[in-house]
Amino acid sequence: MTAPRFEVVACGDDALRILCGAGDIRHALAEHLSTFSGWTEIVPGKLDLTVGFDPHAERLGDAQVRLGVALQTLGATPPRGRRRHVLDAVFGGEAGPDLAALAARLGKTEEQIIHTLEHQTFRVDMLGFTPGFAYLTGLDSALVSERLANPRARVAAGSIGLITGQVGLYALEGPGGWPIVGRVLAPLFDRARTDPFLMAPGDEVVIRQAAPP
Amino acid sequence: MTLRILEPGVQCTVQAAPRKGLRHAGVPASGPADPVSMALANRLVGKPSGAACLEIAFGPASFRAADAVQVAVTGAIADLQAGGLASPMHATLSIASGETLAIGPAHTGARLYLAVAGHLPAEDFLGSASTYLPARIGGREGRALQKGDVLQISAASPVPQLTTPEALKLPTAAAYALRVVAGPDMPDSADTFASAVFHVTPRLSRMGVEIDGDFPALGASSLRPSSAVFPGALQVTPQGRGFLLLPDGQTTGGYPHVLQVIRADRHLLGQLRPGDSVRFLLRTQAQAEEALLAKQALLQAWLPDFRL
Repeated sequence: MTAPRFEVVACGDDALRILCGAGDIRHALAEHLSTFSGWTEIVPGKLDLTVGFDPHAERLGDAQVRLGVALQTLGATPPRGRRRHVLDAVFGGEAGPDLAALAARLGKTEEQIIHTLEHQTFRVDMLGFTPGFAYLTGLDSALVSERLANPRARVAAGSIGLITGQVGLYALEGPGGWPIVGRVLAPLFDRARTDPFLMAPGDEVVIRQAAPP
Repeated sequence: MTLRILEPGVQCTVQAAPRKGLRHAGVPASGPADPVSMALANRLVGKPSGAACLEIAFGPASFRAADAVQVAVTGAIADLQAGGLASPMHATLSIASGETLAIGPAHTGARLYLAVAGHLPAEDFLGSASTYLPARIGGREGRALQKGDVLQISAASPVPQLTTPEALKLPTAAAYALRVVAGPDMPDSADTFASAVFHVTPRLSRMGVEIDGDFPALGASSLRPSSAVFPGALQVTPQGRGFLLLPDGQTTGGYPHVLQVIRADRHLLGQLRPGDSVRFLLRTQAQAEEALLAKQALLQAWLPDFRL
């Protein structure tokens, strides 16, 4: 069996982009490449994986050859066990200021939206935007939602944002343009932890309503 | 010994060597917006290129030393007074006990670097002491320094009086010619970039710089699924506005990544200020590699531990 072939393009003068498409292949590639030295950054995008190299150590052409060689042994890195996070959350009210408007627009009750969210398993597609901000895929496409016309200057850490097809988890307090329906209770970013980020690309996430106090 | 901030300028943060290898978690590099100027400042007080420094946007800024201390200021061009006397940039300065270092408003350029002999306290986070304000990490409690803050500086043995070699005082001008290579989303009709003159708008921070001018309006269909972006990326919005990413810039983005400022010239982005003119000089990959070698060689003798 031959290794899959990927198109690789330059991303500026010190990074290379592997056009591998969506899905688990990005996470498998990222895990595999992280076993090699010489890649300064390994960053999944929605449809690709971009790696940085040190232009003081090698030319782009040499890095491209090295990447090609590494990709040939893709199957050699056993996939990391998929982590699963079950996150307790509160919905609506101050924690989810846009839930009521979203429900009204979709002709649903708030409980129906919460029910839909609770019965889905999401995947962490990528992290980005700000530290630990997790883009989750797998949102029921019936939950049609658009970015706010006026982004908020402050969104609480742990906030759950909804955009059609995606859930965004705000690891940090900060500006945000996604409609917010709730907030997870566990810290997604904890500077006291050695690995401060709860989520990693490829992880599974279940969000459920916390039991009332 | 202590250094008291009397006036912090538009924004004063502790910056040091950047964070590395964390962009997949959404953690940008941070670190100095102009790493060459920071390295030069550190060199004048006998410290490694990536030692923690104060990055001061625009000034005016002033500091009072409780005890005698040696300092150096580089970067954007401003008038300095040490103990009330006009003093040069790019030189090791001695501030006497109780005296003030006053940095005037920057005439050209955007960021000044103040290096202090002795250890400058900063919170290490994920391998770097650099302040990243959006996540409130690094530096001093993850925030910008404010009037009245007092920095505890450890005592240092005296360092020799130095000045930056003339050839390394990078000209801080109001007009920039930035060498670029094509970005992954460069449209075929990109030759307009080669001749046009663009301008820096007032929308400027450590995250990025907005550039105004005759960019092609790529339209809403140009938005693409998010991919990694890096400092030096020039993104063009559907409305035809350009954004150049700086060290605190976001790690992924969906605007077309049209050009990439080459590694050799990225340090210049930290000095762009509103109204400055910018031209983009399209280069091949081979030319970008030659440019990096040439500029690195220029810096090597004076800054042996520094890499662009």
